Amino acid sequence: MSKKELKLAELEPESKEVSVLKEIMSGDPVRIALSVLLGFFIGAIFMVVFNPDVVKSWSNFGADPNYALSTVWWTIQDGYGALFSGSIYNLNADNFINGIRPLTETLRFAGPLIMAGLAVSLTFRVGLFNIGATGQMMVGLAGATFVSTRLHMPQVIHMLVAVLAAILCSMVWGIIVGILKARTGAHEVIVTIMLNYVATDLFTYFLREPGLLLEANGGGTPKSDHPDGTAMMGALLGPSFKLNYGLIFAAIAVFVYWWLMERSTFGFRFRMVGHNASAARAAGIKVENTFVWALAISAAFAGLAAATQGLSMDGGLTTSIEAGIGFDAITVALLGGSRAGGVVMAGLLFGAFKAGSSSMQVAGVSPEVLGVVKALIVLFIAAPPIIRALYRLPKPEPKVFAAIQQAKAAKVIK
Amino acid sequence: MNNVSRKALAGVAMAAASLLVLSGCASPKPGAGYIECGVSDEGSWTDKSFNESVMDGLMKAKDEFGVELKSAESNSSEDFAPNLQSMIDAKCDVIIAVGFNLVDAVNTAAEANPTNNFVTIDGWSNGATNLKPVGYNMAESSYLAGYAAASYSTTKVVGVYGGMKIGAVTAFMDGFYYGAKAYETETGTPVTVVGWDATTQKGDFIGGFAPNDAAGKAIAAGQLAQGADVLLPVGGDQFGALSEAINEAGSSAKMIGVDKNWTVANPEYADLMLTSIEKRMTQAVYDIVKAAAVDKTPFTGDAYTGTLANNGTDISETTFIDDALKAKLATLKAGIIDGSINPLQ
Repeated sequence: MSKKELKLAELEPESKEVSVLKEIMSGDPVRIALSVLLGFFIGAIFMVVFNPDVVKSWSNFGADPNYALSTVWWTIQDGYGALFSGSIYNLNADNFINGIRPLTETLRFAGPLIMAGLAVSLTFRVGLFNIGATGQMMVGLAGATFVSTRLHMPQVIHMLVAVLAAILCSMVWGIIVGILKARTGAHEVIVTIMLNYVATDLFTYFLREPGLLLEANGGGTPKSDHPDGTAMMGALLGPSFKLNYGLIFAAIAVFVYWWLMERSTFGFRFRMVGHNASAARAAGIKVENTFVWALAISAAFAGLAAATQGLSMDGGLTTSIEAGIGFDAITVALLGGSRAGGVVMAGLLFGAFKAGSSSMQVAGVSPEVLGVVKALIVLFIAAPPIIRALYRLPKPEPKVFAAIQQAKAAKVIK
Repeated sequence: MNNVSRKALAGVAMAAASLLVLSGCASPKPGAGYIECGVSDEGSWTDKSFNESVMDGLMKAKDEFGVELKSAESNSSEDFAPNLQSMIDAKCDVIIAVGFNLVDAVNTAAEANPTNNFVTIDGWSNGATNLKPVGYNMAESSYLAGYAAASYSTTKVVGVYGGMKIGAVTAFMDGFYYGAKAYETETGTPVTVVGWDATTQKGDFIGGFAPNDAAGKAIAAGQLAQGADVLLPVGGDQFGALSEAINEAGSSAKMIGVDKNWTVANPEYADLMLTSIEKRMTQAVYDIVKAAAVDKTPFTGDAYTGTLANNGTDISETTFIDDALKAKLATLKAGIIDGSINPLQ
């Protein structure tokens, strides 16, 4: 079929799944902000309802209603106050360095979340539901662990080689998914979820084997040696802070992602396929190859996240170093609307949650509240009608064949 | 702006007032003003295993001495350092890091914060004088459990499996193995230990400490099929899965509890519990807090090792252990304490 004969009616209707993904990602900032707000609000309800002091004071509500109401207020203030002092500025600190440490911790936690979030975002923009960042990170961690504990090189070079190893290992894992999807039509959700298990168990196996990654003088726990000092991502702001060079890698990753998706022809092809794969195919784009490329580049971001995570901790590496980042990345990508700027904001928010969760525990608030808030935010973003109904927002205009219009404007098709 | 700051002031005043009221009401306790803090290993404070034992000790000290308790759970190894840092920021007088996995993080924190006091349960100190390692000689009590298991067993096949192959786990398995073999040497009746061979250090492991792991259940089913009628799972709370495996096999096998006295702590398993190998961390934590908060003894980095001799570890009494066996175990215990019996031979 030549391009001139292309008629709208002949296009395959896009699959429901892709259109849902598109609707979720089309989220405007207002709706996302409102979702976050609502998440915090319901989180506060959880904090209050499960606080024993509040329950006690409300059982005597008749006797002292003021006290009952004030316990509610104090609970919320203590909980979110602890989140603030654990993630932004510690008002009880003796000096500025201790005061500002929480903010540097937020940045430190945000780095890997942002990089992994970009990995998932990229595939979302190509219309792929990629659940595989966990597995890609595990394989990347294995690569970084091998280079950082088994090879010995000079300062900086060692770290860069370890980062590169992580990226390459992760890319291999991404390419496997791409090829399975492109050649056999296997669904990427199933393939990535299963490969997550394979990768986690593979890394565990490597960590168990004395000849591979197992620590030299350990008790047989699946744990590696401490990475060489030369391979570690050093402190960025001096020894008082744990913040490391991972933040620089995150900044580079954000810029590369932005340029790739918004400025390069490569990224344009990605977005075309994401908007409407059959239109893109009709326009002469090799959709299958695009899938492979997208998954490979996406996995590179996941590998960078893995390297940052692995080369910045005290002690040897275990699988738990991944810390659920691969899964949180899906949430970060959704919350950030798969745009570079959005992912940065979402990564910072989730980084703040991680940094603040221990001070919330110290303040006596269960950190699971933050898990609830996170989950609710995503739920609200994924369910636009709920948010529209709650805040009485107008229904967005349906975008009819936006991909085709865009393609026409760009003169890819006539 | 004005309004906000007035509200804030009112809040501060209210907090101060409530503090006054609170301190007015509470009768002064010997440990008031002391802050004890705990950071868990991966897992919750209610894991029915070592995290919970430590928390019990902290709670006991809080209730009896009126010390303040702050605690944080770790969900992954990424949380260890930030949780310890939060405790340092909260100006804790003693920070108890539970579990061998935190050993690197707590050593780093202890070196970086020489004015804070730390305790590492099941870990070790790289030399910091403000870090007290708490360890246990679990082989001693496990030896008694191994002997009791071999004696109680009718098939003379006993089973043992671990969460992961780490020192804190294999200490139990070694002691259990040699205890069972001691029964064989003494009576001449051959005893088979399935799941662990202390001479080759090879055996069955679940691969993690997730409660009631399916892999653990499969291992238990395999050991039951080999005739084992007393089983020891060294991996936190595996007793739900193990009791299911026993029921499904239609076996009358018994289990041996780990870390806590399971007969008392979980009466639903009492009919199945031959005994428990207790690691009395509750007592150790309580003693450490008491020494610092009440007796005002200066904190040192000297190691605490729980043994049969200092009652830091022992096996629990149950109705399944008859008087003859009890007397025999008492002799063995005395032998281990005076050094005439080596639990690792």
